[in-house]
Amino acid sequence: MMPEMIKIENVTKKFGQTEVLKDLNGQVQKGQVICVIGPSGGGKSTFLRCLNLLEQPTSGKISFEGQELTSLSEAQINHLREKMGMVFQSFNLFSNMTVLDNVQLAPLKVKKLAAATAKKTAMQLLAQVGLADKAENYPSSLSGGQQQRVAIARALAMNPDVMLFDEPTSALDPEMVGEVLTVMQDLANQGMTMVVVTHEMGFAKSVANQVWFMDGGVFAEKGTPTQIFEHPQNERTKAFLAKILEA
Amino acid sequence: MKKIMSWLIILMTVGIALLAGTTQPAQAADDSLTRIKDKGTLVMGTSPDYPPYEFLVNRHGKDQVVGMDVDIAKKVAHDLGVKLVVKKMDFDSLLVALETNKVDMVLAGMSPTPARQKSIDFSKIYYRGGQSIVINKTDKGIYHNKNSFRNKAMGAQTGSIQYNLGKKQIAGSKMKGLAKISDLILALKSHKVEGVIMEEPSAQAYVDNDSNLAMLKNSQFNLGSGENNTAIGFRKGSPALVNAVNRSIDEITQKKLTQGYLKHAGTYMQTNTKNTGMWHYSSYFVKGVAYTLLITIISVFFGILLGVIFALMRLSKVKLLHALGVAYIEFVRGTPLMIQVMFVYFGIGLFVNIPALIAGIIAVSLNSAAYVAEIIRGGINSVAVGQKEAARSLGLSRQQTFKSVVFPQALKNIWPALGNEFISLIKESSIVSIIGVTDLIYQLKAVQTATYKGVMPIVVAMLIYFILTFSLSKLLNFYERKMKHDA
Ligand SMILES: Nc1ncnc2c1ncn2[C@@H]1O[C@H](COP(=O)(O)OP(=O)(O)OP(=O)(O)O)[C@@H](O)[C@H]1O
Ligand SMILES: [Mg+2]
Repeated sequence: MMPEMIKIENVTKKFGQTEVLKDLNGQVQKGQVICVIGPSGGGKSTFLRCLNLLEQPTSGKISFEGQELTSLSEAQINHLREKMGMVFQSFNLFSNMTVLDNVQLAPLKVKKLAAATAKKTAMQLLAQVGLADKAENYPSSLSGGQQQRVAIARALAMNPDVMLFDEPTSALDPEMVGEVLTVMQDLANQGMTMVVVTHEMGFAKSVANQVWFMDGGVFAEKGTPTQIFEHPQNERTKAFLAKILEA
Repeated sequence: MKKIMSWLIILMTVGIALLAGTTQPAQAADDSLTRIKDKGTLVMGTSPDYPPYEFLVNRHGKDQVVGMDVDIAKKVAHDLGVKLVVKKMDFDSLLVALETNKVDMVLAGMSPTPARQKSIDFSKIYYRGGQSIVINKTDKGIYHNKNSFRNKAMGAQTGSIQYNLGKKQIAGSKMKGLAKISDLILALKSHKVEGVIMEEPSAQAYVDNDSNLAMLKNSQFNLGSGENNTAIGFRKGSPALVNAVNRSIDEITQKKLTQGYLKHAGTYMQTNTKNTGMWHYSSYFVKGVAYTLLITIISVFFGILLGVIFALMRLSKVKLLHALGVAYIEFVRGTPLMIQVMFVYFGIGLFVNIPALIAGIIAVSLNSAAYVAEIIRGGINSVAVGQKEAARSLGLSRQQTFKSVVFPQALKNIWPALGNEFISLIKESSIVSIIGVTDLIYQLKAVQTATYKGVMPIVVAMLIYFILTFSLSKLLNFYERKMKHDA
């Protein structure tokens, strides 16, 4: 069996009185691509944000590469996050910095790399996402698709072991979705471990090893893309897919 | 109003003294004379806008307080064998300055009234003048003495004997109080008041130097014992010093030295009024601008530094820090800058002797910090939460996130508001003139006193303020555009 990278055990999350995540369990193996799908408000983002502790789970355990996360100190959490890249729906590029500075900020400040090394890596990553010529631009002058590709390069600059994506294409105009998905597909092909919250069923079908269907704060159904998309067992999965496919 | 504030300050300082468990200097044993001799200086407090008693002249590019009172003080210091130091401040601030050890004595054409005698000691009388009324020359036929002013508006210096005389002895009087004689003369010329009550020598000086004014010598005020007399004020409970000074005054009275002093003052007044063009007084304004800019620039620097700290305290999750931040910001924003300036100079000055300029800078900086803190807090809150999350998800610590991501963006968002704060600081810093800091406002009044011209100095100062604020706002706009261009 492949080594297990992330392990989720009995995780719950409450905001005040409302329980948003209910007793979640799951495992992500090294090199796997997990796609999390489900209706709006089901708790997908909250789940993803619990993985790198942007949200603190109310109870339960999350371990990453054998290390239990919920009891870490602040410094240890910072260190942990270096190994988990995150890409947001709204890109969240630093608006006060050029594209290049966005990508090399964390390597310089956190990893304390030499300026020349950091720049070289950053330029390589920008070339990898096809944006080397935009290095000196500010984010506001880029299209949404370009911004999201920079955001992916920025996360990769820390050389993470796993990448978390929260609906990376939902805020994009349809003609730009493809360029971002291509970059993600390349990443998966290179063997990157990925957890992807997405509404792009085509991407989930072709790239995911596992699809987790989330609704009402629980994983209602898990399986391979074929199982989930061809033979869904759960009524809620069926209803969700029917709605998506007719849209 | 000012008087009320002075009282508030006294209350506050007494409060602090009680809290700190120290005794008031007044209650200490009488070491008043030995103290002066030990330090070798005698500090005179005065409000140099009252010719011929005291006023400013420009000698060799520096302004200097001269007048009869200064000559008397020089003699007193000479007789005591110490050096005279003259400290300028508003008339209103003089008594507080005495009580808080800022000055050793007060000579400001001050009369030893029973009310004043309750809070300070007085020397023997060194000058007996009458009370006169200055009017516009065109009104000479209408007004003859105080009784002509029934139901008319009259002016006098706030907190002065003349103010009380007018109030009590003119039926249906409408007294208007202003801090500066030069402002009162302006009010007279623009018919805001019909007459200004002032000491005879002072009235004479104004009439001699302004052909549009006339004076009513025989004002027919019913003067009690103290009210047309002038004496030197000392801290309560300093008989040793008072006795020593009285010996000098006896000599002055015997030899009729005041006549010579008044003549001496007259020659200064003539040099002052020989050339009353504003250009001739440009050095006054230059000095004023220099101080105004100095105070503003240092206060902006510390205002931002402390403002960031207080903003972070207020945003802190640590309850104590948060509470301290809120308390500071709300308290400072809830009290007038004027009181804060007086509190730092007189109140804190009870324990540590802070020069007026430093006190002014401290007060203005601390005040600005509270406003800047609120602006910065707003700026920090205005940065999208996603920016912070993106930085944290990359492994940046809280501090790194703040320094590299949140603060630069906050600064850009608040730049216009911050700019407004600095521009208003240039204007509001003028309040330090009340403790005698020679900023632009202070110098404006000095020029008014020296030239007997009311309006021109105001126009010049107004233009200077406008040029300062306008160029600053252009400069800030330039940087704002630059930041916009970048992002
Ligand atoms: N900080 C918060 N405080 C209170 N409630 C929250 C908070 N964040 C999320 N929620 C609630 O938790 C529930 C799950 O939200 P979440 O964003 O995880 O859903 P989602 O599956 O990502 O939805 P979407 O597809 O719309 O992004 C929602 O009902 C939401 O209102
Ligand atoms: Mg979501």
